[in-house]
Amino acid sequence: MAVKPRIKVMKFGGTSVATHEARVQSALKVISAKEQGFAPVVVVSAIGRKGAPYATDTLINMLRDIDPTVEPDLRELDLLVACGEILSSVIFAHTLKTLGHPAMAFRGGQAGIRTDGVYGNARVVGINPVSLFKACEKGAIPVVCGFQGVYVAGDGAPGGELTTLGRGGSDTTASAVGAAMQADAVEIFTDVDGVKTADPDSVPNAPTLRKVTYDEVAEIAHLGAKVVHPRAAEIAMNFDIPLWVKSTFTDDEGTEIVRRDRFPGRRVTGVTHTGKLVYLQFDLKEASEEHRRVLETRIFETMAHYGFNLFMMNLSPSGTGFAVPRTQFAALAGILDSLVVPVDGQMFLLQIGSNPSKDVENQLRLLAPTGNVKSIVAELTEGCTMVSLVGHEYMQQPGVFFEVLTTLHDAQIPVLQTTDSDFSLSVLVPESESNRTVRLLHEQFRLADIV
Amino acid sequence: MSRKTDPRNETIDCAPSKPAAPVKEIAFEKQRGISQVEVRTGFAQVHVSKLSGDIHSQRLNVLKAVREAAVSVDFLKLTPSGLSFVISENNSSDIEKALGPLNYHCTIRKDRCVVLIHAVNMRDEEGLTAQVVQKAIASGAIVDHISDMHDRMLIVADKKFTSTLQELFQEETHGR
Repeated sequence: MAVKPRIKVMKFGGTSVATHEARVQSALKVISAKEQGFAPVVVVSAIGRKGAPYATDTLINMLRDIDPTVEPDLRELDLLVACGEILSSVIFAHTLKTLGHPAMAFRGGQAGIRTDGVYGNARVVGINPVSLFKACEKGAIPVVCGFQGVYVAGDGAPGGELTTLGRGGSDTTASAVGAAMQADAVEIFTDVDGVKTADPDSVPNAPTLRKVTYDEVAEIAHLGAKVVHPRAAEIAMNFDIPLWVKSTFTDDEGTEIVRRDRFPGRRVTGVTHTGKLVYLQFDLKEASEEHRRVLETRIFETMAHYGFNLFMMNLSPSGTGFAVPRTQFAALAGILDSLVVPVDGQMFLLQIGSNPSKDVENQLRLLAPTGNVKSIVAELTEGCTMVSLVGHEYMQQPGVFFEVLTTLHDAQIPVLQTTDSDFSLSVLVPESESNRTVRLLHEQFRLADIV
Repeated sequence: MSRKTDPRNETIDCAPSKPAAPVKEIAFEKQRGISQVEVRTGFAQVHVSKLSGDIHSQRLNVLKAVREAAVSVDFLKLTPSGLSFVISENNSSDIEKALGPLNYHCTIRKDRCVVLIHAVNMRDEEGLTAQVVQKAIASGAIVDHISDMHDRMLIVADKKFTSTLQELFQEETHGR
């Protein structure tokens, strides 16, 4: 009976495959694993990050540039963006070959990765890794395209449809392949040493965490710092596959992501911050309870319909507030500003910002003869960001809010709003104070000493 | 070294043999959308309002008093004239005692519940958080607070709306 090879799945992100030098560096890590007795299985992202010639965004823009007003078909878009990983896998496999190690590139479908049929955001439903095992048995290193799979419709359409996995797709591929092959480990290689206690741009000496739980890393990703995608962590945890985040460019041991039951203990794990946000606070004091219910329902229904991601949601007796990424704000304002919500014969006119736009003024003129128009104004706080303290069994301790708000009050950093959950506590602060807030909280909770 | 034996020029046939080896497929990812609804009861909402002057310092006075009473605070929200938060209902009298000396306007509403709507990787499902809030409000439940995590939303409401919210979102679960 053949002995099952000791599989190690090694995933390399965009910067790790961006240049020939980086690919050689990555390939040497793979060769080193092979020399240690592992059967390495490589998963690669597209070459380079945003702006690079074969990066996913560049490929998408090839369609958008034809006519920005015509939305590309999702099926066609998946076929196009998958080319980035195909190119990357072939080049990486050939790089290994030039270094004297047989290798073979696999598309997602060739690697046996089956997904559901949601183009652009597919989920892995099954993997048959027979071709990957066969390559390993023959001494070759399989190089699998991350981020993609194949959807086989119920009618048994030949070949199936190529799908992509959406955000964190290549990490997800690595974990799923690792689970399917019962790997000894899945290693996610990137350009940082592992999961850090804070963004090194804010805290240059932020230490690398040696162990984090799935919940911690998922919450860190949810709140802005995407080192490893929660989908990948979730699969690794469910199948009990050891998952590591390591640097391609150093020999640091990296961060191991472990199940909650393997890391009992209370601590603050890190401080994260999101990108730029705009906070909207709708003043609903004047609306009756029933009118308010209809208004809020309409506002959130519209946000859901257009797929906006909301942060810092706040329902209070005086109104409703939430933040959206600044990149989405113009679209949101275009939809909500001057929207008329009729309730029981009363007209409510939504106004985004304290100064009425021309559209709002026009609506007011048109509706004036009815004599029952009320403006609902959303006050805007532009240029803010959400800084979050992430912790394991820590947020429920008495006094944590007091400690955070006192620290920021003493440093004269205005806190515009707060929110919290089982694993995090977040404050909305001016964007200009983002780095200082991260640094202060990092210091206050002594995160430099965590390792 | 001859070209034929150079490993750099080997060709490997890794296509699945026929018939394919019987490797069992495994289900990997959770389905998108709401997977589970959970309810926690036994909470009270504290609302301190009508603060004037240096509101920031007064908010800190409130939180300091709460900390000294060793009471854990959840769902803290800053309001224009104060703050509100949720505590364990068992701590209501501790909070009354702690905040009494401050002479601030304070109301404690008991019988609050937290309804947790579980959905894996919520931020990747565009519009899902807004959809949950919209449905909760449209149901007629009076929602005190909303918060979110990577895999769940937390809705604080009057206990009398527990079953309304629970049934509403239970209908949405893919495992129903």
